[in-house]
Amino acid sequence: MVAAAQHPNIQLMTYSEVTEVNGYIGNFEVTIRQKPRYVDHKLCTGCGTCTEKCPTKVPSEYDLGIGNRKCIYINFPQAVPNKPVIDAENCRYFKTGKCGVCKKICPTGAVDFEQKEEFITEKVGAIVMATGFDLFNWEDAYGEYGYGRFKNVITGLHFERMSNASGLTGGKIIRPSDGKEPKSVVFIKCVGSRDEAKGKEYCSRACCMYTAKHAHQVIDKIEGSSAYVFYMDVRTPGKAYDEFYRRTVEEGAQYIRGRVSKIYESGDKLIVMGTDTLLGRPVTVEADLVVLATAMVPSEGSDKIAQLVSCPTDKDGFFAEAHPKLRPVETMTGGLFLAGACQGPRDIPDTVSQASGAAVKVVALLNNDQLATDPMISQIDEKMCSGCLVCKGVCPYKAISEKTITERIGGKPVERVVASVNTGLCQGCGNCTVACRAGAANLKGFTNQQVLAEVDTLCR
Amino acid sequence: MAKRIGLFVCWCGSNIGGVIDVPKVVEITKNFPGVAYATDYKYMCSEPGQDTIIKAIKEHNLDRVVVASCTPRLHEPTFRKTIAKAGLNPYMFEMANIREQCTWVHSDDKEGATQKAIALIKRALAKVSRVEPLFESYIPVTKKALVIGGGIAGMQVAIDIADAGHQVILVEREPTIGGKMAMLDKTFPTLDCSA
Repeated sequence: MVAAAQHPNIQLMTYSEVTEVNGYIGNFEVTIRQKPRYVDHKLCTGCGTCTEKCPTKVPSEYDLGIGNRKCIYINFPQAVPNKPVIDAENCRYFKTGKCGVCKKICPTGAVDFEQKEEFITEKVGAIVMATGFDLFNWEDAYGEYGYGRFKNVITGLHFERMSNASGLTGGKIIRPSDGKEPKSVVFIKCVGSRDEAKGKEYCSRACCMYTAKHAHQVIDKIEGSSAYVFYMDVRTPGKAYDEFYRRTVEEGAQYIRGRVSKIYESGDKLIVMGTDTLLGRPVTVEADLVVLATAMVPSEGSDKIAQLVSCPTDKDGFFAEAHPKLRPVETMTGGLFLAGACQGPRDIPDTVSQASGAAVKVVALLNNDQLATDPMISQIDEKMCSGCLVCKGVCPYKAISEKTITERIGGKPVERVVASVNTGLCQGCGNCTVACRAGAANLKGFTNQQVLAEVDTLCR
Repeated sequence: MAKRIGLFVCWCGSNIGGVIDVPKVVEITKNFPGVAYATDYKYMCSEPGQDTIIKAIKEHNLDRVVVASCTPRLHEPTFRKTIAKAGLNPYMFEMANIREQCTWVHSDDKEGATQKAIALIKRALAKVSRVEPLFESYIPVTKKALVIGGGIAGMQVAIDIADAGHQVILVEREPTIGGKMAMLDKTFPTLDCSA
């Protein structure tokens, strides 16, 4: 993280969103909205006094609501940039006009309640989508696991926040209900993955391994603990992956092949009922904590950003690559590349490899001073064009604009409007040639005359 | 001036050659109008296959080429480069897809498939008779990249591009970078720290 922030060639824009993208490969123009932080990061030294003194606590999004944060906050101790922002929605000053403790106490005068959002326009030659994933909303789908009513049924990411040494519990695994250390932990895999009825058809790929890691951590960190893993299959296709899984099993994790049909509370325990399909009989496990390995889904808002950059998506909403084997980091839009879980579920090693692959494609593009464009694009015969501009409406690439030309009719110059094709934007799809009633739009390499000749030949 | 078309029919091993009668297809199609030279080869996309095309263009003074083989999605760029090597404009070219659109889907009807292959070649000949040289135009390149998302993927992309000497703008919607990865504890299989 620090390497990315300190690199002289990287301009880091946090708390920012891309709001507009125009242009084409080699020549994009993007607008980025810098959200107001209400803290001048040029003045702020990151001393943390404001965070300490802020009187308002709200549930921390970063700790998935398990713990609290202040209203002027830094998500975690090693955060980059290590300077706070103010949550204006919950801040006492923004709500009531009173308080302002942070502003009074800041030794450098960095707090600025008047800060406004800013829009920055930049020209770039290539765009990489790396918008990542979110977790499947299991609370809406899995009634048998309590629809989120049971405090001690959590997701793998909650577990990570607890076992993370810089997290809320300082690395201690606890039960959210009473803060006690759990002695019996049940893990359930494929919650939302490989479940067409309730979730997604696909495998989320990382869960088998992180569940093995979680089971290992329970056994390693909690003395006398038991870890049970309910699974459909154990998928460990990666370097040193299967060895890792086997180590967890040898450490004592009990893997039970079968699905969990019901979880209910009994006293302060959770009763997990399932089936062991290898033994062919039902099993019941008394658990202190249940951890669900929930499916990866495209990150919230990725559909909007896909529209902004004209990036096609697949049936599950992940960004679509140009070819699954031969062009895995490219998209059908020239100059637009993909990295990481925004293309489909994957783990960290695969993400890093793919990201480097995408980087090479970008570098190969940016190393050119100029680019050759595909000549098989649309052209307008201005003499035939009536200027109706139906073509403009059907062009998915915004490649057609109006142009005023001067003609001599009866010896007098007459101005009229015709359609004009931007050769950089046109992708040669041919929509305009079909829409053009005058027959003025023609796709080079697929002209009306050529296509008709082909049809003629076949009909003879 | 009369057009001089070169027609090259590919066996694709048994993919095409195992279904249709390739020599018979060549025998019939070589007499079609405009065809100055026709031949077949086991793998047209292979180096010797491409050399066959280059040699024929020179020896028979061909001015345009049809290759009847697989989908243009696969090898159209390959053959465009081949004919450009022989001095032709790369767009004086047309492909007839006699694999995906013919032998792969009609393997149970060999005679029918042979007739369809001939029809598809006829179509390509009609098209190639009417093609004209096309020329690429050039657009400038802004030497800067935008990376949307500051998680592990975005950071890695940004660092690699930046290390290669190009400017990068890394945009992250949250107040800090690191994404989901920074939320994690140890990572498998090596159990090293994620942050």
